Amino acid sequence: MSNDQLRVDWPACQAHGVCAELLPEIISLDEWGYPIVNGTVDRDVLVLAKAAVKACPTLALRLIPAPPRHA
Amino acid sequence: MTSILSGPALWFANRGTGFVLLLLLTLSTMLGVLSTSRVSPRLWPRMLSQGLHRNVSLMAVTFLAAHVATAVIDTFVDIRWWQAFVPFSGTYKPLWLGFGSFALDLLIAVTATSVLRHRMSHRPWRAIHVLAYAAWGMGLLHGIQMGTDASTSWGAAMNYGCIAVVSVAVFARFGLLARSKVVTS
Amino acid sequence: MTASTRALPSAVRNNVGLTPAVSEGPALLAGIAEGPGLRSHRDRLGPAPTPTAEALVEMARDVDLRGRGGAGFPFAIKLAAAARRKAVVVDNAAEGEPASHKDAALITCSPHVVLDGAAAVAHALGTREVHIVVPSDVPSIRLIVEKALDDRSVAGERLKVQLHDAAPRFVAGQAQAVLQLLAGRENLPVTAWQPEAVKGHRGRPTLLSNAETFAHLGHLARVGSAGYAAHGTADEPGTTLLTLRGDGWDPEVREVAFGTPLEDVLTGAEMEQPLLLGGYHGTWLRPQALPGLTVSRNAIAAAGATIGAGVMLPLAVGWCPLVRTVALVDYLAGQSAGRCGPCRNGLPAMAEALRALVLGGGPMRRVEELCGLVVRRGACAHPDGTARLVTSMLKCFPHEVDSHSLGTCRSGLQEEIE
Repeated sequence: MSNDQLRVDWPACQAHGVCAELLPEIISLDEWGYPIVNGTVDRDVLVLAKAAVKACPTLALRLIPAPPRHA
Repeated sequence: MTSILSGPALWFANRGTGFVLLLLLTLSTMLGVLSTSRVSPRLWPRMLSQGLHRNVSLMAVTFLAAHVATAVIDTFVDIRWWQAFVPFSGTYKPLWLGFGSFALDLLIAVTATSVLRHRMSHRPWRAIHVLAYAAWGMGLLHGIQMGTDASTSWGAAMNYGCIAVVSVAVFARFGLLARSKVVTS
Repeated sequence: MTASTRALPSAVRNNVGLTPAVSEGPALLAGIAEGPGLRSHRDRLGPAPTPTAEALVEMARDVDLRGRGGAGFPFAIKLAAAARRKAVVVDNAAEGEPASHKDAALITCSPHVVLDGAAAVAHALGTREVHIVVPSDVPSIRLIVEKALDDRSVAGERLKVQLHDAAPRFVAGQAQAVLQLLAGRENLPVTAWQPEAVKGHRGRPTLLSNAETFAHLGHLARVGSAGYAAHGTADEPGTTLLTLRGDGWDPEVREVAFGTPLEDVLTGAEMEQPLLLGGYHGTWLRPQALPGLTVSRNAIAAAGATIGAGVMLPLAVGWCPLVRTVALVDYLAGQSAGRCGPCRNGLPAMAEALRALVLGGGPMRRVEELCGLVVRRGACAHPDGTARLVTSMLKCFPHEVDSHSLGTCRSGLQEEIE
């Protein structure tokens, strides 16, 4: 079962780092403060991922739903 | 019933909510300014600034609603409900009341767009949100000129204090704290 | 493979100030000796082809036509996606890569080959709206296209063509950057949440392709899949345009059939030099890898390189591949649009770390770390391409890197590294 993905709108990202605070399980920050997304969003962290998307001051984080499974 | 409406209770409530509103708006503005910086805070997570800013702002909106309501309901001074929303249309101190109405209108726009932040694109949201500075300034002037408390020592101290807090925050944000490791475009 | 060679009439200069030589070719560059005019073009080839979308998709699929802008995307997929209502055609001749001159050469010598292709695609998509992006730093291209369009409209062609001037930057030809230009904004990349063939210019299906790709389409529509496959191999039918020595002293644009051995394209001396294949975002190959290699996407990919937009840069004799790469990465770092943090910060840091590695004994670890940090973290592939160049340098020339860290250069550039 494939997971949702977090994607960054890079021109919009201003390295505020709120996402990494909310979701350190998946998001870490590089040496300039920009997010590194490690891995996909599984059910355990979905709520946190949605909160991170909502909390980004520049709306630079998006949750891309997993493509629907084909029978 | 009429005695409550025309007695001093609502007048005090109006002044009280006005002062608290000024403090809350000042605090909110300060938190808003500081949360735009990208200084990495070791002991103060960014989410805390953002959360506080939102909660303090919501409290301010509540007190704003109470402040407007007490002004309109109070029959001692004649302020009709529409004069609260249409700037400079009042009969009692129209200019300074108008500043308050203008600030109210701006804050309604700021609040509405912030509630709907995820349904709009970032740039227009930000353009409206910046008007909060103007709302703060107008509210401050409105408060100083509408009542008599500004001439008291504690009233004046509070007004100067609020100006100082916002000024320091702005200078800190665009002066000292602007020095960050990130190369900005 | 003899053909008349003809230098471009000061239309295109490489960044050393020289104009590339262009030879006649088997398909796209056939008949260039007769000049770029519409009359001779029509006399030779007849009217512009008018295929249906279904026919064009099928032909493109038959010959596995790939985009010639560098990414090599299967064109049939793109065309099928864009074949919906109110589509828009965008012919991208921005050619932001300094070492590439094929699009400029094609437009200068044979503009109607490109325009016939754009017209054919527009007809297939049922649209009249065509946008052409020309490089602002080569003003003659715009003039040539304007004249060609005038001649065509006098001859009865009814298309609504708009010309746009691309900024003189490396990333100006990137798809999203082009769409921004069309929308009247700065010619720089933005994040794309959907492919432009699905939702592009003004939210409409946008078929954006390289100028050479349109030329191939026009040719394909005229001669059909079988005719197109008259050149090339069974796996890779057709021809492709190459730019040789594009930023050097003897630049050349040549059309070759797929499967042509590399030794028929490069000189004997060049076959003994390291080759940078694919342009500034390309991959290095050691001379040992060159014999037996053919101009073929698959063969080149099997050798660990990429054909890109057909740019071939043999290292000049006496030059050092490491120092050449440092200069290229410096240039690429300066060409960042500056919109995405990892690129804006990472590329200059990479240039600095690479310079330290090559010229001053700095750590390779830092260069590798930065290559990993910039990949897939931007609105466009500029950081990825730069990382690819650096990674291929490290992979191809480990002994040279060791020598440099010990203070000597195998190519003899002693002064550079002391």
